[in-house]
Amino acid sequence: MKVLVGLSLLVFLAGVTYRIYGWLTQTVLTTDKASTGRPSAALKGAMETVFSGEFFTLIKTFFTDILFQKRLLNKSALRWAAHSLIFFGFIALLLMHGLGTGVSEFFFRDYQSTIQPYLSLRNLFGLMVLLGLAIAIYRRLTDAPQRVKSYGSDWLAIAIVGAIILSGMVLESSKISSYSAFTVMAEDYGGITEPDELLPLETYWAAEHGLVSPNIAKPYDPALIEEGREIAGDTCMECHAPAQSAFISYSLAKVVGPIVSGLGDEGVVNVLFYLHIICCVGLLAWLPFSKMFHVIATPISLLINGVMGFKEPGKDPANVVNRRMVGLSACTHCGSCSELCSSLMFYESFQNDFILPSEKVQILKRVAAGQKVDEQTLANLQKGLYICTSCDRCSEICPSGINLRELFISSRYQLLNQGIPETSMLSHFSFPLSLTRNFIDDHKNALKKLEKIFKDSFSKLKDLTSITVSDPVQVGTDSYQSCYACQRCSNICPVVRLYDDPVAELDMLPHQIIFSLGIGNKDIAMGSQMIWSCSTCYLCQEHCPNKVELTDIFYNLKNAAITQMEGGRA
Amino acid sequence: MKLAFFQGCNIPIRIEQYAVSAETVLKKLGVELEIVEEFTCCGYPVRNVDEKAYIIPSVRNMAIAEKKGLDIMVICNCCFASLQKARSVMANNPELAVEINEILAKDGLKFEGTGTVKHFLTVLHEDIGLEAIKKQLVNMVSELNLSVIHGCHILRPREVTLFDDSFVPRITDELIALTGATSLDWRGKLECCGAALGGLNSELSQTLLQEKIDGARDAGAQFVTPVCSYCHLQFDTTQLNMREQRQDQDVLPVLLLPQLLGLCLGIDEKVLGIEQNSTIEPLHVDNLKALLGPPVEKKKKRKKRPQKEAA
Repeated sequence: MKVLVGLSLLVFLAGVTYRIYGWLTQTVLTTDKASTGRPSAALKGAMETVFSGEFFTLIKTFFTDILFQKRLLNKSALRWAAHSLIFFGFIALLLMHGLGTGVSEFFFRDYQSTIQPYLSLRNLFGLMVLLGLAIAIYRRLTDAPQRVKSYGSDWLAIAIVGAIILSGMVLESSKISSYSAFTVMAEDYGGITEPDELLPLETYWAAEHGLVSPNIAKPYDPALIEEGREIAGDTCMECHAPAQSAFISYSLAKVVGPIVSGLGDEGVVNVLFYLHIICCVGLLAWLPFSKMFHVIATPISLLINGVMGFKEPGKDPANVVNRRMVGLSACTHCGSCSELCSSLMFYESFQNDFILPSEKVQILKRVAAGQKVDEQTLANLQKGLYICTSCDRCSEICPSGINLRELFISSRYQLLNQGIPETSMLSHFSFPLSLTRNFIDDHKNALKKLEKIFKDSFSKLKDLTSITVSDPVQVGTDSYQSCYACQRCSNICPVVRLYDDPVAELDMLPHQIIFSLGIGNKDIAMGSQMIWSCSTCYLCQEHCPNKVELTDIFYNLKNAAITQMEGGRA
Repeated sequence: MKLAFFQGCNIPIRIEQYAVSAETVLKKLGVELEIVEEFTCCGYPVRNVDEKAYIIPSVRNMAIAEKKGLDIMVICNCCFASLQKARSVMANNPELAVEINEILAKDGLKFEGTGTVKHFLTVLHEDIGLEAIKKQLVNMVSELNLSVIHGCHILRPREVTLFDDSFVPRITDELIALTGATSLDWRGKLECCGAALGGLNSELSQTLLQEKIDGARDAGAQFVTPVCSYCHLQFDTTQLNMREQRQDQDVLPVLLLPQLLGLCLGIDEKVLGIEQNSTIEPLHVDNLKALLGPPVEKKKKRKKRPQKEAA
């Protein structure tokens, strides 16, 4: 057993070291430049924070956000209940029971595993964890965040923690019922080996403490029980509370007892013991490599968030990258962000998982860990990163305090720099980005790539050698057919009037676009700069005497142009 | 009266003072607002890319409000137009309506069309009414000239937005008049701030904005008063960004309508977040406060003002 514990501890420590090394060296995408001097920057940042006025912010964050989980409570009382039950139940079990007698006695004076209140407390804490897990399972099954998938690893985490508690409880109940455990204890602690003392004690223990004995059967002799009670009073009860105190295991023993006895109690107790230990050390060894690493990463992320908030850009670029990496490993895939994502409904239209912030984090984790991701997935990720309203709700809600805003913005531009053209840049998602004055050159360069594709995808009015009339075009409305060429639209257009030679700048003026639709040529209409210079002020449409829906038609042409630029036929 | 407050994406994170000042003013006038956590983006940002993707979120938002039995109140013009557009599509395109309702059914929602969408200005002007607001005024301003920029998507297309007269709007002017301030007739009043091109054709976007800034200044405006959140961001943020490159002009400060109205209702300027407008300096607030005085009947004087042709 010591070998097992030692081994898993080694794996755990190696894993944690590896993960922390990852925080200080990994980057989300390879073009990340601020990767030198990150360990020293992290140390310096941490030291500066601890030895400044921010120290009290750290204390406050520790109590409100880490222990009390205030952010989670704000999000959902049910989730908070589940997390608190699991967290406090598990930590209490760990300190009272899991880390060995030394630790137990440090936190609980006079601790002995067989006396009260510890028998009951152990069951109570176990019950808390189980209840919490039950809520978590219920939530994943019925109240799951819409559109967020549960992965195998999400279930595995629940399964392992559940297995620890359940195996512990079954182990305890099998010990309660075990005859061999009884004889060993009677001999070791009571010095009782003679049958005339053993039989009454055994009867009493079978009648009232859940023992399943091969020697005696119901109905028990009341006189023997009384005699046994006296013996027990003299020899056992001083340091062994009644087994009923372990209220769950005692009830469980009634079911488990006969089975254990039938299978051979000594062997079963041993097997259960090792099962329980294996579950525990398994969790320990698995922890650094799974989402359970959040027990280490999330407090750190919350502390960083408490001091810096998510709106501050961060002074030291090296620490900004560090924070990003801590953030990635602090994600528990709880889905709170995706549930409240402003772009939620765009997922319905584009069917791109990466529109949801929680799924962006999952893939970015993989990218950061150096896993190969194919081009198509990267293109989808880029689109998912771009279809974002910059509302920052995800960063505000994240119970782990991850600066998703910064993570997503930097990842977006690092991907755009890798050269995959992004047609979503032509949407109004670009507007809030233009306000922040970050990544100005990256943004311009990425737009230039699109401009080139736009120029190559369509023919221009000036390339037209002869005019032919084709079938009517589909632009969402027939109103263009009512145009009687008064040119009111082009005369009132605030964009047209800006230029001395508007045709040179815009390729076609609004009325010319309507004309081109009239002769069935949608291609030159889609290819005109006019539609991407349209300020969508609707003055043309409002003033058109024949109710041609110009602005709506321009929107339709933009949609079609983007589809064509994406490679499909409009 | 209780309404579901549809804030959109820009206001909560970038123009919180607009939400707070509007909320405070409405509370004073007896209108309660409920923040609905489930509201998502109105869909507007994606309109260049996919019209259907643009419509769906607004239908969902309206369905959520319907389920709560609340009408929606909007500040942002682009949100307002998106919601109104979605309503018009649902009424006029039964096939698409069925398809969208199938998508909403996944979230247990259905759009019935029973609720309405009101702009903040309509709530002030129609639901509360000019007279009721006037009764509550404790201050009025004198000698304050504002350039209101209505923004495009609240007015046009008129068949969809169903707000005021799209050629000669009067709601905003009448609300401004209550405070004693003058809403100037100026050449950008009904025109575009350029926001729709921001980030995809930024140069043109900024040219359009500069034209409006110049227009407002030439008309003698002390403040510009945008209605839409996008216009606000253009004047309050892009203007400052532009000024980093050319410092030859004074900044034209932004004052929001509920901030002005709030001052006249006796609400503290800190609550109204006037200094949270990036273009506002402490001096501007002091000047504004100096203009405040007890309400006086000034209506006749304003009526004499010749009505110039708008647009």
